Amino acid sequence: MKGWTGNFIRINLTDRTYQKEPYSEEFAKKWVGGRGFALKILWDELKPGIDPLGPKNKLIVALGPISGAPAPNTGKAVVAAKSPITGGYGDGNLGTRVSIELRKAGYDAMIIEGKAEKPTYIYMQDDEVEFLSAEEVWGKGTYATNDWIYKKYGKSVGVLNIGQGGENMVSYAVVRSLEGRAGGRPGMGAVMGSKNLKAIVVKGSKEYPLAEPEEYKKRGTQDLKKVAEIDKKSGWSIQGTNGVLAWCNEVAALPVHNFRGTHHPDAWKVDGVRLNDARIATYGCPNCTMRCGITMHDAEGHESELDYENIGLLGPNLDIFDLPQVASLNWLCDEYGIDTMSSGCVLSFYADAIEQGAIDGDFKFGDAEKAKELLTLVAYRKGAVGSLLAEGTRKMARKIGKNSIAYAMQVKGLEVAAYNCKFVPGMALAFATSPIGGHHKEAWIITFELRESKRDSYGPEKAQKVIDLQRIRGGLFEYMPACRFPWIELGWGIENYPVYFQKATGLNWSLDDFWKVGDRIYALMKFFWAREFPNCNRTDDYPPAVWFDPANADTEGPIAGKVLDWDKYNELLDHFYRLRGWDERGIPTRKTARALDLAQEAADVEKFFKLK
Amino acid sequence: MKVQVKVIGYLIHQAGFGEKEVEISGPATADELLTILHIEKSLPKFLTRNGQGITPAEKLEDGDRVVIAPLYSGG
Repeated sequence: MKGWTGNFIRINLTDRTYQKEPYSEEFAKKWVGGRGFALKILWDELKPGIDPLGPKNKLIVALGPISGAPAPNTGKAVVAAKSPITGGYGDGNLGTRVSIELRKAGYDAMIIEGKAEKPTYIYMQDDEVEFLSAEEVWGKGTYATNDWIYKKYGKSVGVLNIGQGGENMVSYAVVRSLEGRAGGRPGMGAVMGSKNLKAIVVKGSKEYPLAEPEEYKKRGTQDLKKVAEIDKKSGWSIQGTNGVLAWCNEVAALPVHNFRGTHHPDAWKVDGVRLNDARIATYGCPNCTMRCGITMHDAEGHESELDYENIGLLGPNLDIFDLPQVASLNWLCDEYGIDTMSSGCVLSFYADAIEQGAIDGDFKFGDAEKAKELLTLVAYRKGAVGSLLAEGTRKMARKIGKNSIAYAMQVKGLEVAAYNCKFVPGMALAFATSPIGGHHKEAWIITFELRESKRDSYGPEKAQKVIDLQRIRGGLFEYMPACRFPWIELGWGIENYPVYFQKATGLNWSLDDFWKVGDRIYALMKFFWAREFPNCNRTDDYPPAVWFDPANADTEGPIAGKVLDWDKYNELLDHFYRLRGWDERGIPTRKTARALDLAQEAADVEKFFKLK
Repeated sequence: MKVQVKVIGYLIHQAGFGEKEVEISGPATADELLTILHIEKSLPKFLTRNGQGITPAEKLEDGDRVVIAPLYSGG
C-alpha cells in the first residue's frame, strides 16, 4: 500500500520491549489514521471496565497518510486512551514534530502499554527504542522537561511530554508538545503519568511512503504558500483565534462568571487587539503557514502562549479582565500540563459553588492570585481542595451535592469550551453530542446558526449542520489528521484534502467516502460508550442544566430573558439521532452499524448492551 | 443615514478602526457597507444588525448598530 507505512510500533513499558506490527490495507482504508486508528485499536484491545489510570489502559499516538508530508497543516498527531475524566474513549490532537519523525521512522502509530517501574522516557530512532531514566526531570514542568530533551537531542526531534499534572494524574492533564501546545483534554496526560512515562522522543530518517512523491510535494508546497498568502492578505494571524472573543461578547456567547453571564463591558481588555498589542512572538505547528500561537509576558514575566479558549475560560469566565494575569494562569496550566479549558471551568465551578453556599471556601470570582494558588494545589493534588479540584467538575459536583451538577459546565464529564450556549441551541447540541465530552473541536455550529438560521430554531437544519461539521471537523481533520484552521478561517477548500490523500495513497475517494469513515468512527465511539456504560441513555447527550434555567436568563442585552427549552432541545436531539440512524438512547442501530461495516463491532457490543 | 459600526478581529486592520459612526449617503445594504469600508469580500464574514445575524443583502436603516466579523471556527 502507498501513503500509509503499514506499520505500528507496540511498546511495552512493563517489560521494556517493543515490536513492529504490520497492519492490513483493509484496516488502513476502513479507519484511515489518527482518531480512526486510535479508536479501533483501543476498541479491539481494551477490556470494558478497566481502570483508565491502571496499567491495562493503553496510550495511542496516531498519524495518518498525509501526516508530516508538506501540505496545509499536516503537523498534527492524535493522542488517545480510555479517558479518566469521562470513562469513555478520549483523544485530542496537537501540533508536534512527532507527526513528521514517527512517519519518517516508518510508523503510523505507537501503541504504548503497561507501566514503567520508575520514571522513564522513550527515545525512538527509526526502528530502535530505548527506555531511559526520567528521574532527573520527574517533578518538573513541561518547559524544563522539553529544554532537558532538546539539550540532549537537539531541536530536530519530535517530543511529547507531561508536567506535574500528568505525573499526579489530574483527570484533565494533557500531553504537551512545545512545537504546538497541548492535546488530549480528556486526561491523556494523566494516562501517560499513570505509566510513569514522562516523555516520548522520536527521530526518523526514512522517506514518506507517498504514491506520487514529486506530485505531492509540488502540490503541497504550492498550497502552503497559497495559505500563507491568504493569511497575509486577510491578516488573520494578527489576532489569531482570540479575534473571536470580541465576537462572542457581541453576540452574547462569552462565558462570564461560570457561564452565568454572556457578555461583559470589560471584555475588550482581554480581546484580540490587546493580545496583539502585547505580543512578543508568534509560534506555529510543523507545516503551518497561518501561525496562531501568540505569546506575551504574563504578570510574573513568563512567556505565555494564548488563544481564545484559554483566555475565555481563565479570564471572563473567572471575572478576570487583566490580560497579564490571565496569561499567568495560562502559563501555570501549560507548565503543569493541565488543560486550560477544564482548569477554567473547574475554578469557576468552585467559585460558583462557594457563592451558592454549596461548599465552604475562600475563593472568589476575580481573585487571580488565589486562582494561581489553586492551580498549584491541583497539579500536585495537594490537600483536600487540590484533590477535589483535580477530579474535574462532574466528580466535584457529585461530592459537593446540593444540585451543583446543574452548574458544573461539563458534558459526559469533560468541561465545555468557551462558548456560552444559554441561548444557542445548535451549539449546545454540538457540545452535548460530542462523543468525547464537551469539546468544541467536533462541531462549531454557532456561526452557522446565528448567520444562516434562526437563533431560536430547534429544527432539523441545525441537527444536520452539526452532523455535517462532525464529519469534517471530528471526522476528516481528526483521522487524516490535519488542522482545520485553513479550511474554516481562511476558506481553504475542503476539496483539497481528497487531492492530498490521492497523491499520498493513490486512491480516488469522493468526499462521501470520507464522510462514511467519519460516521463509522462516530458510531464506534458511541459503541465504546455503551460498552463501558450499559445503562447509558440520551441524558448523556444533554448540555449543562443551567442553560435551561429561567432564573439564569440574562436581564439585559441581545438575549435578555431567553434560555434553552427542554422540550424543544429533546426534539432537536431526536432530529440528530434520526439523521444519524441512532436510536432514542443515542446509540447506533444494528441497521446503521451494518451500513457502516460495523457488523462485528455491533455483535461485540451486544454482549454488554442490547442494540435496536 | 448614520450607522454605528463595530469591526472585529483581523478586519479591524482592513477597515482601519474598531468602532465608529459611519455616515452613508442614501440607502445601503450590508454588502455596500463592506465596500465603503474597504473590507475584503472574498473571505466569509459574519454580520449582525442590532444583535441579530443578517445576510449581506440586508438593507440597513438609520441608527442601526452593525457588527462585522470574520467567520471563526473556534480555537
